Amino acid sequence: MEQPVRSSFDPFLTAIIANRIDSIIREMTNAMLRSARSAVINSARDFSCSIVTSDNRLLASAEGLPIHIFGSDLLTLAMQKFHGHDLREGDCYLHNDPYNGNSHPADHAFLVPVFIDGEHMFTAVAKAHQADIGNALPTTYMAGARDQYAEGALIFPAVRVQRDYKMNEDIVRMCRARIRVPNQWYGDFLAGIGSARIAERRLKELCGKYGKEQIRAFLNDWLDYSEELMVKALQQMPRTRLSNSGRHDALPGLLPDGVPLRVSLEIDPEAAMIEIDLTDNVDSLPVGLNLSLASASAAAVAGVFNSMSIRVPRNDGSFRRIRLRFREGSILGKPRFPHSCSVSTTNIADRVVNVVQSAFARVSAEWGLAEGGVGVGLGFAVVSGDDHRYGGASYVNQICIGSAGGPGSPSADGWPTYSIPVVAGLMYRDSIEIDELKHPFEVEYCRLKSGTGGAGEFRGGPALEMSITPKDSPIEFIWNCDGLETAPKGVRGGRDGITSQHWLVSADGAAEELPSMVVRTLQEGERLLGWHTSGGGYGNPLARDVELVRKDVLEGYETIERARDLYGVVFTGSIANDSLAVDEIGTALMRGIG
Amino acid sequence: MSYVISIDTGGTFTDVVIRGPDGKPAIGKALTTHERVFSGMREAVAAAAAEKKMTLDELLANTELLVYGTTRATNAIVTKRVAKTAFVTTAGFPDTLVLREAGKFDPHDFRTPYPDPYIPRRCTFEIVERMSSEGTVSVPFDEAQARRSVAQIVERGFEAVAVCFLWSVANGAHELAFARLLDEMAPGTPYTLSHQLIPIVREYRRASATAIDASLKPLMQEHFRQLETDLRGAGYKGEILVSITSGGCTNIEAVVAKPIYTIGSGPAMAPISSRAYAKQESYGDNVIVCDAGGTTFDVGLVRDGRLTFTRDTWLGPHYVGDLMAISAVDMRSVGAGGGSIAWIDEGGLMHVGPQSAGSEPGPACYGRGGELPTVSDAAAVLGYFDPSFFLGGRMTLDVAAARRAIETVSSKIGLGAEECAYRILTLASELMIRAIGDITINEGLNPRESSIVAGGGAAGLNIMLIAKELGCNRVILPKTASALSAAGMQYANIVSEEAASLVTSTQAFNFEGVHAVLCRLKAKLDAFAIQLDQSVNHRIEFITEARYAGQIWELDTPVPASGLETLADVEALKEEFHRVHERLFAVRDEGSPVEFINWKARLSIPLGSDPASSPEVEICSADPEFCAGLAKRDCFFGGASPVATPILKPRDMFPGLRIQGPAIIEEPTTTLVVYPGMSATISGAGNYLLEI
Repeated sequence: MEQPVRSSFDPFLTAIIANRIDSIIREMTNAMLRSARSAVINSARDFSCSIVTSDNRLLASAEGLPIHIFGSDLLTLAMQKFHGHDLREGDCYLHNDPYNGNSHPADHAFLVPVFIDGEHMFTAVAKAHQADIGNALPTTYMAGARDQYAEGALIFPAVRVQRDYKMNEDIVRMCRARIRVPNQWYGDFLAGIGSARIAERRLKELCGKYGKEQIRAFLNDWLDYSEELMVKALQQMPRTRLSNSGRHDALPGLLPDGVPLRVSLEIDPEAAMIEIDLTDNVDSLPVGLNLSLASASAAAVAGVFNSMSIRVPRNDGSFRRIRLRFREGSILGKPRFPHSCSVSTTNIADRVVNVVQSAFARVSAEWGLAEGGVGVGLGFAVVSGDDHRYGGASYVNQICIGSAGGPGSPSADGWPTYSIPVVAGLMYRDSIEIDELKHPFEVEYCRLKSGTGGAGEFRGGPALEMSITPKDSPIEFIWNCDGLETAPKGVRGGRDGITSQHWLVSADGAAEELPSMVVRTLQEGERLLGWHTSGGGYGNPLARDVELVRKDVLEGYETIERARDLYGVVFTGSIANDSLAVDEIGTALMRGIG
Repeated sequence: MSYVISIDTGGTFTDVVIRGPDGKPAIGKALTTHERVFSGMREAVAAAAAEKKMTLDELLANTELLVYGTTRATNAIVTKRVAKTAFVTTAGFPDTLVLREAGKFDPHDFRTPYPDPYIPRRCTFEIVERMSSEGTVSVPFDEAQARRSVAQIVERGFEAVAVCFLWSVANGAHELAFARLLDEMAPGTPYTLSHQLIPIVREYRRASATAIDASLKPLMQEHFRQLETDLRGAGYKGEILVSITSGGCTNIEAVVAKPIYTIGSGPAMAPISSRAYAKQESYGDNVIVCDAGGTTFDVGLVRDGRLTFTRDTWLGPHYVGDLMAISAVDMRSVGAGGGSIAWIDEGGLMHVGPQSAGSEPGPACYGRGGELPTVSDAAAVLGYFDPSFFLGGRMTLDVAAARRAIETVSSKIGLGAEECAYRILTLASELMIRAIGDITINEGLNPRESSIVAGGGAAGLNIMLIAKELGCNRVILPKTASALSAAGMQYANIVSEEAASLVTSTQAFNFEGVHAVLCRLKAKLDAFAIQLDQSVNHRIEFITEARYAGQIWELDTPVPASGLETLADVEALKEEFHRVHERLFAVRDEGSPVEFINWKARLSIPLGSDPASSPEVEICSADPEFCAGLAKRDCFFGGASPVATPILKPRDMFPGLRIQGPAIIEEPTTTLVVYPGMSATISGAGNYLLEI
């Protein structure tokens, strides 16, 4: 292979400019992270920055949340559709409409078209999950919403909020009049616009330095290069056609049977194409769980990228090799208006990620993952109320101290900081102290639960359990947790993770088990407690390295009993005096029988 | 009695700088001797003394101050030789060190194992107690249970104890209660209390710093005791100070109490010398500091004449390493240097690093069996090194091997070896430019309006390319470039920092509370200054960590010198915060209240004097006759054909000489490449001033 790769492709300059583009995204990210107001953005990092070309190809998205990123092009497409001839320098558009390419209404995207010498060349996209969007209830996740009207959010289908770099104050007033804790919203709004404007400035500098023609050549080269890597990866896969299924739990009173999910996966190594067919799914439903086109696409594509063993840039180039199929009117990707997509970025989207990545695990031992833990329970509750400590000031915020366990993979255990499949471990955890400073509650414990990770050659991440109690003032807690009935699945002989459970314990100690959808106001003396799901295991637990099993027991991730019963490892000595050792013969016997 | 000796003991080399009555520095170098650090130190000091025509004994007898910096703590952590440390925390929260603050870089990477916590879970002890965020007792301290835990700590042979309870910053009583039990039941076992070491809100940050600090105590106490004994044994009678990561130095007693501050203390000195050199050459007080070694490139800033600080220094990778969390000089390190390997990926794109050939086998040109093409190989192929006089003649380079290595890449992209080599060097520069970009963006500094001070053995290779890309046309390569850190200690102040947590806001400013906190901090620092016999000379500045209401991340904001006694003072502080926020994020939110979370007091006592201004010299361009007399070597600067390039040695040069590129300047410890169209002038002080 001692020949030049592509005649016009400059391997050096392409690398340099790609690096510069990446730096621009990092600068956008830094600005958003550090200047935003709500914890969900500035602490939990529930936002993403990307750059899209003027012909709506996703160019770059360093470190962005997968669920936000695959779909930036749909946002800019809508902007062009609505404003095509009237786009100009100095504009900024606010977009959160799930029926025009956005993930869900709580994600406010700021789109700044970037003009070079009067020509539209890029659109900078900064997208952030808002703490509040004016829904009927003080939460951005309206699982029970019959339709988009019942959600109550203000919808902005690529609405112009700035022209000639000046704010349209009408829009600001509309939002201030409708969104809870308007100052917090406004701070985030400024941070989002500021982030996109930084990209505008830097992209202009970049084009000034290299010239438009050079940059145009780069755009094609970079996307072709990314496609080339994807082709090489797919050519190594076996020809495959299989289907895989999953399920979202029942929602009491709304979806008594839950939502069954089906995905067909076809890999054609000669054509270097993957097709993911999501058509064989139920019609859209009168609840908030429907997946917008952006969310369904993002979840499926994330499942593919999670499954690959080599790194490929995430952009339009690599996406060309993935074909997605949706059905008009289906809950996955093409719900019928006005069905609600309020909870479109988590619950069912998480299950789609899982079904896709666990389908790949069936293809070969090189690819795919177990199912990751699901469910946004107590540790991700949206809390609201008035804080007696600060003169009764109102607050509404999503806390982020929970995490489901990550999936086992072909070479590593699931991470305890996984969060949920769509987040993939990217989000930050809140500091418990900061959360207690900002909200009038006390966390009574927060710890990993022993013996919970789905067993496997590489086990799932353990479940995280916690307990929270209000201090003086009542607090409303809202969450919609999946994973109470349907555990994250293990693959290739790995065991399933554990399901999630929550209780409300009253002042007299009586415990009431809570359903998946919770809207409860807690008084002083009451407490909420429970745990998130753990991750599924990958591969046969009897094949797990005995030293890893020993370490798990020493560290308290596993119990001696489970080590014996699930992993076939027997010990001598004791943990207490540091003498725990593997009983080689006993283990061989156990594993031989097992 | 007027010499100052500064010593930077790195992982490989010990660098020494001495400065005497004439103010002119001399450098000494030796290999670091890890088993007994004094041996290498003695050799390096003797070498520097020889430069000044003195013996070691003469120098020591005439020295009044010795400043010592060490990577001992960092090495102990990297090689996992810290003390067996118990982590003591609030019952119910055993996983603070495991979970960290979450986050990772690549959302699709599920194949990297989750990193172990700094202290294993099995060494974690949960104590029944709890303070509230208001500093009241939620769960009383269970002394009987705590006693059982201490008994176990003793029985299991722990060598150090890190104590971090939730909300100990609001009320440290429970941590103190635990400390009393340790004193009673495990006397002599070193421990660290989180509310004393690092009184900031955010339990992971406090716990991580506390764990790191405690784990270093036995080792560092022993290290400094040994060093002091050895120095005194050698007849040294002057003062001994230790450089710390707060960007200054302090006495042994203080550093033994908080050894975490020695981590990164070497790099923290580079901005100090850089500031001094920029001042010496009248290059302004905004400086980008670049320190290029064999495997890493460190970058830092001086802004408005001040060092910049961060609490976000990670040991190991961001997110999954261990956070230092103390306020440290912001020096960032990227893995890019002479050993970085160039390669072409499956899609045909060129990369440099992050893999490195290290020093074994090292670059192909070292002739030790390395076959992969590195940045040093690229420089060798370009003709930038004298193959027979590499590292001052300590090594002979195998240029043929370098060429063979480079050809493995150049053949894949259809270029000649020299053209490819130039691109490799440029791509390596790109990594460094990115690192500079990240830190200047973070601080809102415009590289075009700043100066660069470059140091480290490898800086001269590409610093002019970097400066050109950044649009920065004031660049200094100091005479002491190869020992930027040791030189920094020559100009360092004695510093000490105390901090306290007190949350208040511009809406209802807690005058009384803040006054009390600031007084308390000042009293502690005053006491420290008195103990050092420096009560007259010291300056204390106050800084608050502030944010807009609802933000999470605080920004360091200087407290007005007038203090905070009146509403007008608070207004001034608020304006200062707006200014800082606007500088960093281009946004100011006039309508928003400002919250103050932590308060810091920083003591600083000047020790030595900055170098004198560079004497005016007449600039004289090297004339043709001069150039004709110089040796020449074929070098390449991007094209396929060679350029006969003059080679200059120190003996060829004098202050005021202006050398037009292309030219190569070969100093004993560094090589400076002056690219075509650029030039270098030797200043009156002997520094190289580079013009792009």
